[in-house]
Amino acid sequence: MTNRTLLTEANAPTIVFDNVQLTLGGTTILKQINLRLDAGKTHALIGPNGGGKSSLIRALLGQVPHTGHIHFQWPQQEGRLGYVPQALEFDRSLPMTVMDFMVSLQSTKPAFFRQKHAFYQTILNALERVGMSDKAQRRMGALSGGERQRVMMAQGLMPEPSVLILDEPMAALDDTGAQVFEALLQSLKDKGTTLLWIEHDLSAVKRLADTVTGLRQTIRLHGAPDKALSTDALLSLFSHTPQPPHSITLEAAHG
Amino acid sequence: MDNVFSVIKLTIQHWAELGWLPSSLAYGFAINALLAGIIIGPVLGLLGTLVVVKRHAFFSEAVGHSALTGVAIGILVGEPYTGPYGSLFGFCLLFGISLNYLRNRTGLAADTLIGVFLSMSLALGASVLLILAGKVNIHIMENVLFGSILTVSAEDIWLLAGIAVIVVVVCVVGYNRFIISSFNAELAAARRINTKLLDYVFVMLITIVTVASVKVIGAILVGALLVIPAAAARTVAASMRSFVLLSVVFALIATVAGILIPMQVDLPVPSGAAIIICAGSLFLACVSARTILPHLRGGNA
Repeated sequence: MTNRTLLTEANAPTIVFDNVQLTLGGTTILKQINLRLDAGKTHALIGPNGGGKSSLIRALLGQVPHTGHIHFQWPQQEGRLGYVPQALEFDRSLPMTVMDFMVSLQSTKPAFFRQKHAFYQTILNALERVGMSDKAQRRMGALSGGERQRVMMAQGLMPEPSVLILDEPMAALDDTGAQVFEALLQSLKDKGTTLLWIEHDLSAVKRLADTVTGLRQTIRLHGAPDKALSTDALLSLFSHTPQPPHSITLEAAHG
Repeated sequence: MDNVFSVIKLTIQHWAELGWLPSSLAYGFAINALLAGIIIGPVLGLLGTLVVVKRHAFFSEAVGHSALTGVAIGILVGEPYTGPYGSLFGFCLLFGISLNYLRNRTGLAADTLIGVFLSMSLALGASVLLILAGKVNIHIMENVLFGSILTVSAEDIWLLAGIAVIVVVVCVVGYNRFIISSFNAELAAARRINTKLLDYVFVMLITIVTVASVKVIGAILVGALLVIPAAAARTVAASMRSFVLLSVVFALIATVAGILIPMQVDLPVPSGAAIIICAGSLFLACVSARTILPHLRGGNA
């Protein structure tokens, strides 16, 4: 176990975006993204809706055709990439329990076959970390948005990732959920996992992130949260009219 | 291989004569029919759970209907009209694969695209059939449309068995991946699941199982047996386990009952129609059960 942990620590990758550009149907979604996300650090990605945060992650996962290059620089052999999507929608009537969902993701043995007892136990342990082990037999569709988000978090931790990508993990969470999430993030940080994390809650970013990157079509701000999250930089990031910062009012920033 | 087959057949006939099994099974063709049903029913039930989860019901119907055109083309080019498998496989695979290729490439919703393909294929099939009308007995089309279980031959059964094995193996091996890729493409990608490849594999599974079932259930109704048992199971199941199990059992019951009941009571009903009526009754029973028993609605938070 200790060995594995050490391996994870050593094996976190650096992610390098090299002049990444993404155009869909004539619209430029991302341009000139040059970014280096150091291994073992927590990187927050912020920006307005439609600014390209989710597109950047889709490009990172190889799901959209982009130009430029995205490299994972693994110190050793390629490790595991974990992904926590934005709260997924499930049909309420789909007869898939939380356990079924977890099994489907982790096992090649069909979810409708009985699995090894130890395997169920591993999944229950992961669910326990997000406070969902007592709801393992609930249907996915019957969970609240926050509960579903916790399940997504639990699957992202299995097996232990070297790099974890999170797409607005706190959006649907209540206060308790947010605390559970922050504690998990902290423990992943301590293990030296590379984290890339889309977040709207800027105070959470300030508390937890090592670097923050503001994205609106291209990179608008980047650096340590203390320095990068200046009022002017944020006003410009969240504005629709990227003109001289002093001409922008606070209302425009929220509009 | 054929020895195994005849041993099974003789044993069943013997049991039927002794009165252990329904009396209609004393006839060879009835046994072929039953074997075909027992083989294909559970396979359709299993694959059907994926069809329902992946929302491919309309697609399955369309592939089934394209079988009609496949048969028409087969007869036109001179294949035997009792089993024009070459053009059946050829046309249905072409239909299914090109439909899947054009999905996400036309900017149209899947159901619109399927609607267009379905009508084009039916129009083509109808045209070819009318050209053929003078040459062959048009009543054979009834068999294609609604199934003619009593003409199932030993070769048909071997074909069914072969396809059943392929479909079950691919389904079981890929089941979790099929399910995950239908939820979220990024989540699937992070788990190294090739969603695009799986979509093609899935479409081909539906196509070959449809073609193989045309004799038993008929082109018009084969899509229904992919959907109804799984839909029925979905209304009452609480987990994947019961969902798949019930779907397989429902499909098996429907096929066996749909084949045996008309033979026992001498009803001149086509096998496909009888099978779907049985499946439909099970579906209605499940829906009623769900309405009456609140715990089946499950997982109220």
